[in-house]
Parts: sequence; structure tokens; C-alpha cells
Amino acid sequence: MRTRVAAALVTVLSLAAAAGEARADGDADDFKTSCANCHTIGGGRLVGPDLKDVEKRKDRAWLVGFVTDPTGVLASGDPYAQKLLAEANRVPMTPIAGMNAKRAGQLLDLVAAESKLEKSRFAGGAVPDRAFDAKNVPVGRDLYTGAAGLKGDGPACIGCHRVGDTGALGGGRLAPDLTDAVARLGGRKALSAWLSAPPTPTMKRLFPFEKALDPEREILPLVDFLQDAAARHAPSERAPARVAFVLLALGLAGALLVGMEIAWRRRFRGVRETLVKEPS
Amino acid sequence: MDVRSQVSMVFHLDKCIGCHTCSIACKNIWTDRKGTEYMWWNNVETKPGTGYPTKWEDQEAYRGGWTLGPDGQLRLRSTDKRRTVTNIFHNPSMPSMDDYYEPWTYDYSNLFDAPEGADQPVARPVSMVTGEPIEVKAGPNWDDDLGGSPVYAANDPNLDALSPEQRLQMQSIERLVFFYLPRICNHCLNPSCVASCPSGALYKRGEDGIVLLDQTRCRGWRACVAACPYKKTYYNWQTGKSEKCILCFPRLETGQAPACFHSCVGRIRYLGVLLYDADKIPAVARSRDEDLIDAQRDMILDPHDPAVVEAALRNGIDPSVVDAAQRSPVYRFVKTWGIALPPHIEFRTLPMLFYVPPLLPVMSAKKDGAVRNASDDLFADVEDARAPIAYLARLLGAGNEGKVRAALRKQWAVRLHRRATTVGDVDRATADRALRETGCTAEEADEIYRLTALCTFEDRFVIPPMHREEAIEMLEDPHVWKQETGFGFRAGPKREF
Repeated sequence: MRTRVAAALVTVLSLAAAAGEARADGDADDFKTSCANCHTIGGGRLVGPDLKDVEKRKDRAWLVGFVTDPTGVLASGDPYAQKLLAEANRVPMTPIAGMNAKRAGQLLDLVAAESKLEKSRFAGGAVPDRAFDAKNVPVGRDLYTGAAGLKGDGPACIGCHRVGDTGALGGGRLAPDLTDAVARLGGRKALSAWLSAPPTPTMKRLFPFEKALDPEREILPLVDFLQDAAARHAPSERAPARVAFVLLALGLAGALLVGMEIAWRRRFRGVRETLVKEPS
Repeated sequence: MDVRSQVSMVFHLDKCIGCHTCSIACKNIWTDRKGTEYMWWNNVETKPGTGYPTKWEDQEAYRGGWTLGPDGQLRLRSTDKRRTVTNIFHNPSMPSMDDYYEPWTYDYSNLFDAPEGADQPVARPVSMVTGEPIEVKAGPNWDDDLGGSPVYAANDPNLDALSPEQRLQMQSIERLVFFYLPRICNHCLNPSCVASCPSGALYKRGEDGIVLLDQTRCRGWRACVAACPYKKTYYNWQTGKSEKCILCFPRLETGQAPACFHSCVGRIRYLGVLLYDADKIPAVARSRDEDLIDAQRDMILDPHDPAVVEAALRNGIDPSVVDAAQRSPVYRFVKTWGIALPPHIEFRTLPMLFYVPPLLPVMSAKKDGAVRNASDDLFADVEDARAPIAYLARLLGAGNEGKVRAALRKQWAVRLHRRATTVGDVDRATADRALRETGCTAEEADEIYRLTALCTFEDRFVIPPMHREEAIEMLEDPHVWKQETGFGFRAGPKREF
């Protein structure tokens, strides 16, 4: 009887332990997909600050509030949030879909636990990184323009973004200009990390985990290409491209109208109006 | 010889008083629906004038009808197989609402509901398109009785046949002339509307030649609107289908004259069957302009000729229809007497509506307070009539003045003959000479007189039995048809998008 109770107790305890472990694993996955693209724990700054011992810098209540609603806190003019924004080249923290106080607390627990370790598994070791390689620039350009397909069948960047004057009409206007993306996101490593799991809502849907970019063959050539583009295109020469685009559109529309006017020059134009307009 | 029957029409322009009763009768029966407000399947125009739609006769602008190509083949002015595809979403020869008119009604309720005030309440014109009050600027008979002559009458395309001097003379007060031209669909033998339709919705009915537009097949491309040189197909903006005069075929099938014919106050309208040789259509439509009238008359067959009757019966035309053709007033006006002429046959659609040209003899001017006739002879020669022959020839003779002159001379001889017989102010010798000159016998003159002036309902409308019970055999067993009539679903034409 007693052994049975003990066995039951052991089972319950081990189940609880397993549940705790499972929870910790879930949190780690959550951190990996929602946070690691911008933050490390003890690996230095990426787009966002290093989170090691973050609770020594700011209290948990504030942190939970900021993680659940970064846009709201930034809009409220909170001085510490403004300081963070300035440090991040004014790239604001992306709101995470489905974030709530409970989940934020669990993530902060994980950060606290990992901070105590000698070497956290989120120290940025998984982020692809190496020095600029000019040989890879054409590879990156092909990926950007869509000349070479992405492994995960994601859409080519040029459909929405533009980089300098690459492509027929300089690329899309739907999404931000990527010409200075390397500098804006805080360096090659930060950009690589960001690309490995893009956090913004649109990019997240286009490049979910199963369609993630290949670190060696896609992310690094793209970063090389973007770094090369930033070096070749000064910010001042980007504005005229937009004007040229509008002028080109107006010109084409005008040419089309002239063409229609020529093709249908003998069309019926109404006779009554011309009759009654004549001086009688 | 491929003998077919065609229900044809004659309008006697000398009898038309321009009362528009025909237009109203048609409007009340057929085009009082939403989307058809601007349509006048029957309209009456004042000539000289620009008509409805404005200047419809100017095919340089409207590009309706057929043209003879350099290879001697007929071509549609408005479209062809290639252009049907390239222009299918933009037909470059489409008249707009401005060329018809913006239909309007009046705010009659204001006459009753207006608050008491110093001014008499008025019924403002309200657009039937937008529902907003409008300032009316055009209408289907805007130039009625030479209204707005300096603009409308002066721009009549038929005046191109006249020299500038003649034009000026025609507008001078003692020569000032106008007559009325009632128009319906001509139910042509070579209809350009049928040829132009990309959907094959238009067809010419086999048994009586009435040109109809199938509302279930029409896709609203409006190619027929552009192609008809008489502008007698119209687009219904409510149903998204085109519509046209149906010659009141439901009335014809029950032995009644079409509404516009039935209601005609001046009794100007005649309706009857003509037998014609369909094999000749291509050759006739390709004749030279000056030969067109004769060619079309040649195509119309003598229903008394035994060979024609035999060929007609062999072709499935019922003996009762042949009998109607033998009594047809149209045959007599067009073929026997040769005084009815097709309008603008140079459009080469071979219209089967014929007009007896108007005699407009009396010419007088007011001088020193007294009215003086230009000639003491009330029936001076047709050459001296107010309407220049060249003008009438442009309208009714494809420029062939001889045909118009012959038709007018014969009418003139008939008048002299009847004057000599009943009044006696013209001596018999003059009347006989006039008859001789026009190759008309006294008996023929009396017949023309009787059918013109004393015609009864039965004389004017010789409606053939339509034999629908036989026509339906081509499609279905008549007994099955009879049993099924009234069952199933049938929805009116409407937009499906």
C-alpha cells in the first residue's frame, strides 16, 4: 500500500518535473522565435539591447508592460523607452502577436535563469556571421531580384523593397527602402539575426519558421549585397529615383493617351454639340 | 429563283400632317419602360432638318450601313471581323446621349403640392437619367416645323446636293419648305445591323422578313447601334441589351396592323407583302448608286406571274400569303406605279419601307399686303415646286433625280386628271397630255387616286396570315408546343453582372 502511494507520488512529482521542463522548453522556443532575432543574452547588442541581467536595469512590472505593448509605451513618451529607441537607431521594438503578461513573465523568468549561466544558449552563437565578402554580392543580388529563387519559396525582396537603383524601376515601394538596412539595424550580425526570423507582421507571415532563409546560402549573401549597395549609393541620390518614377508614369500614361488618340482618330465625336456651338 | 415574302411598307409623305400620333402609339406600347426613355422606334422628322439622332444621315460621322470596296465587295462601314475584336470594348463609332437627347419628364406634383405663394407653381423639367432638374437643350423632334432652322434645317446633310444659291433660295420666304418624314425600322433585305452583331442576336424572320433582336442572345456590344445607318436600333441601359422596332409582330400575327399604322391620323401608311428573289440580294446591293432603285425594283417579283407563284409555293410560302401579295398596296405603289422610293438606298441595306415623295406645289409670297402666287397656274410643273428635286433625290433616290421626277410627275398627272374630272378647272386635253407624258392611263390614275385618297382600312393594310402554327413546326411539334405553353420559367432581359 505504502509503496503504491510512494509510486504514485513519484509519478506525480516526475510528471510535474516533466511539465516544468516542458514549460522551460516552450519558453526557450518562444524566445528563439520571438526575441532572438533582435536580442541576445550575454552576446552583446543586435538590433535591440543585450538582455543579460535586464531586471537589474529595470523592474519587472515595467518590462512586462513594455514587452506586451511596446508601441503604446513608446507612444506614451516614457523616457527609458525613448532612450532604448535612440540606442536602436530609432528602429522600434516590434509588437509580438499574442503577447500577454503571463507569457512575458515566463520569458523574463527564462532570461533571468539564462543570465545566471556562465554561457547562455542565447549568446548569439547561432547567428550566422562573417566578414564582408565581395564575391557573394552577385549571389545576393540574384536572390534580391528573384533571378535565383529562395529555398523556402518565399517571394523575392524586389517585389516590395528597393535597394538603390537595382532592378527595372528600382524595385517596389510597398515596404521600406533597404539601401541602408545594415546601418539602420545596427550592423551585419544584427541584420543576419533579424533575417533568420523576421519579427514584423508581414515578414513573419511571408517567412515563417518552415520557410526561413538559409543562413549560409541566403542570409549572408543578402547581407553582403545590402552592405555593398549601402556603400555605393549615398542617401542623397535616392530621392530623385522617386521623382523619376512619377515622371516616367506620367510620360507613359501620356504616351498611351496619344497612342489611343492616333489609333481612334476617326472615332465618332458627337455631332449635335458641334452644331449648336456654331455661331448662328 | 429563291422566292421569299417580306412584309413591306409605304408611307405617303404628301398625306403626313406631322402630328406624331404614330410615335406616341409606339411609345405607349413598347418603349415606356425604364431604360427606353430616349428611344423612339417610330419618330417623325421635319425635313429639311437634322432629325433624330442629330444628323443621322451623315455616314461620314456615324459610319452606318455598307460601302462598296475597291474589289466590288460590300463592307460594313462601322466594323469588320478584325475590328470587332480590337474595338470590342470601345466602339469608335457609337452615338452618345448628346446625339439623341437626355430624356426628361416634368415635376407635375409641384403643381399640386407647391406652398401658397405669389407665383404660379410650375412643373420643372427633370432628367429621367439623373433625376435632377435640367435645362432641356435637345429633344427627338427639337427641330419640328423648322424650329431652330438656322442650326438644324441648315445642317441637313441632304442639302449637300444643292448649290449654295439653291440653298439660299430654299430658305427664302416664298420657297420656304418643309415636310415630314416618319421613320421606323426599314426591315431591310441586307441589314447591316444583323451583319455587325458579334453575338448573332439579330436575325431576319424567315416567314415575313421582320428584323428582330433576340433579347436572350444579345450581349450588349452595341455593334448594331453603330452599324444601322438609319440609327433604328437602340441600347437599353437598364437591361444592358439593344432593342429595335419589331413591326408589332404580335399584332401582325393576330391580323392587326402595327400600332403606328393603326393610329395614323393622316392614313399615310400602307402595309402589304412583297415577294422577292433572295438570290439577287448580293448583286443588287453591289449595284452602282444610280442603278440601286431599279435593281431593287427588279428583285421584287410579280405575284401574279404563274412562275413566281409556283416558285413561291415550292419554297414553302403559303397560298394565303401569295394571295395577300397579289392584293398588296405596297406592290402597287412600288412596282406597278413606281411612285414609292426607298430612303437613302445608297446605304445599301435595301430598305423595305418606301416613301411617296411629297408634291409641294403652291408657291406664294406676300407683297404689298396681298398674297401673290409665284405662278397663276396652281399646278405648275414639278420642276417649279418648292422642294428642289435634287434635295428629294438625295433623300429618296440615291441622287437619282430621274426617279424622283417620274414619281412626282405621275402624282402631278393624277391631280390634273382628277381636277379635270371632278372640278373642271383644268381642261381635259392638258390632263390627258400630262398622263401621256408620264405613261399613265386614266384607269391607273383613278386607281392611284383611290388608294391615295379614298383608301379603307382593308385597302391600306393587307396583312398576310402569319401561320404561326406552321412556323412553330420548324422548332417543335405543334401539339407538344400547345401542351407546354405557359409552363416553365421566363425572365425578362436584365443585366447579369
